[in-house]
Amino acid sequence: MKIGKYIALITFAASALTAAAQGYTTPGLEWSSRHGVHYEINAGLNIGGAAPLPLPAEIRKINSYNPNLNLMIGATATKWFEPTQKWGISAGIRFETKGMKTDATVKNYGMEIIQDGSRVKGNWTGKVETKYSSTQLCIPILANYRINSRWRVNAGPYIALALNNDFNGRVYDGYLREGDPTGNKVIFENGSEATYDFSDEIKLFQWGMQVGGSWLAFRHLAVNANLTWGLNEIFKSSFKTVTFDLYPIYFNIGFGYAF
Amino acid sequence: MRYIMKLIKALTIVGLLSFLSSCIQKEPLNAECDITEASLPGDVLNRAPLIENDKVIFILKNGVSVTELSPEFTLTPGATIEPPSGTTRNFIVPQKYTVTSEDGKWHKDYTVEAQSGNTLNLQYDFEHVRLYNGYDVFYEVNSNGDETLAWASGNGGFKLTGMGSAANEYLTFQIDNGKSGKCASLVTRSTGGFGALAKKPLAAGNLFIGKFNIATAMSKPLESTQFGTPFNAIPRYLTGYYQYTPGEEYCQADGGKLVPVPDKTDKFNIYAVFFEATPEMEMLDGTNALSPDNENIIAVAEISDADRVPAQHWTKFDIPFVYRQGKNIDLDKLAEGKYSITIVFSSSIDGDYFSGAIGSTLLIDEVALECLSSDDLK
Repeated sequence: MKIGKYIALITFAASALTAAAQGYTTPGLEWSSRHGVHYEINAGLNIGGAAPLPLPAEIRKINSYNPNLNLMIGATATKWFEPTQKWGISAGIRFETKGMKTDATVKNYGMEIIQDGSRVKGNWTGKVETKYSSTQLCIPILANYRINSRWRVNAGPYIALALNNDFNGRVYDGYLREGDPTGNKVIFENGSEATYDFSDEIKLFQWGMQVGGSWLAFRHLAVNANLTWGLNEIFKSSFKTVTFDLYPIYFNIGFGYAF
Repeated sequence: MRYIMKLIKALTIVGLLSFLSSCIQKEPLNAECDITEASLPGDVLNRAPLIENDKVIFILKNGVSVTELSPEFTLTPGATIEPPSGTTRNFIVPQKYTVTSEDGKWHKDYTVEAQSGNTLNLQYDFEHVRLYNGYDVFYEVNSNGDETLAWASGNGGFKLTGMGSAANEYLTFQIDNGKSGKCASLVTRSTGGFGALAKKPLAAGNLFIGKFNIATAMSKPLESTQFGTPFNAIPRYLTGYYQYTPGEEYCQADGGKLVPVPDKTDKFNIYAVFFEATPEMEMLDGTNALSPDNENIIAVAEISDADRVPAQHWTKFDIPFVYRQGKNIDLDKLAEGKYSITIVFSSSIDGDYFSGAIGSTLLIDEVALECLSSDDLK
């Protein structure tokens, strides 16, 4: 299922590249070029996670972290301003996944889970495994500055529409203090665990800031790197179970075909 | 290209991990305030101390005075106790201790009691309950009105499911309309969303002599029902009255799901076990309380399968203790308090395995242990 999705994405990216390359000599592109408008299509990988910042003291150890294979494809149009064409503004659209899988050890972490109308509240000490994956349509609006013919940097806000979300995991190898730290101690071990699924609690709209750089390796091939930093937490504000706010922070590295 | 990607990925992971790790803050001070171990100086204990979340019970050897005891406690690291460990106090009545956590934000009051000699009464009328954590706890009193025994139940475990909002929505609670006065009502319930997640989709109403160890309720549920209390009489019969209404649909647990079993009717269980408490097995639990090969068991009184039938009116049970082959009672051990007894009631006989019919209701009243006392034999 997942693999199929990636293959579809890659195929789409490849055909888009081919089509774009063939269309390079069209009159429309020439017109754009004369007016300081440049196009690029790009693809890359997202590596990062949804993390609380700063890490709360309750998190004692990150036992493992897997960034997953998160692909990104997109297109950007940049308008460079006369006379120097040093400064420009760009708008983009990209289709991407943001995901991760982490396993952390927490101490005395306050939690409350509501499931089918029943409610469990308490303080957890032990391991927490989290899987996060979000497929998003993202629109960055960036200010661009050209340092020289090969290098440019950009920064600006983005908005994202989270189309398909997974946020689930389990708690295991630890114990719950029921209610608060003075409550009954309930041990989870030997394979006993409690699972959770907060996929429906992820915000549909997210936004944040992006900064990046681009290096034109060849005439048409750019190497891009940027950091996207979510500024609103990923969960709906009505959702209280995860007491600390999680922000998506992703590093993207990829290639672009510049027309 | 692939290698470059792999390298970038590896470097980024290392970078992020070290970044995140470097962000890990100083460990917070402990918030818990538990008595984790308790002891008394000298050879005065008949059983290991019973330590619960807010209660410690010392069961003393016969003849040990309770008026001057100096219990010692081990606490959650960093926690403090008031009055301090080792303070000599009079335990004619239970004594209060307060444990404060290392971070100073939390404290918990413990009741510490010392039981000397056999205090168990032999008649149980289920007239006395107290509300604890939102559910009923049955207890028995002697002729002076002093509490002699608190019955255990799975209510503490059921509380975790969040399904009980009033005492009578729990597994075990008191109702009116007993055989005489009030009685105990045991109901098999669904454990809701959490129970299903924990692969424990149903819980039987239960009531027993012993303690419910909530710590192991999730990981080792059969071991969380700990059976037995010291007993120095010779049991002959377990008697009492019951009513039983099985739930509509018997279901077998398959992981977190309940799978209906057509044409099967739920059954209850009533039994008592008289056993020798040895250091290796001071209490019985759900894994061994009726095991044919349990060497500690001396005698069992279990309702016959033919009598596990629905009853809309109060129906008497009178179950003889059947001694296990080759087992008899050593009167010296009996006098020293080396034997224990438990009585167990359950609204679904397969409730240990999370199978039964939701709604099965067992009412219990006027239970008695008919005994020979050791004096009768002399």
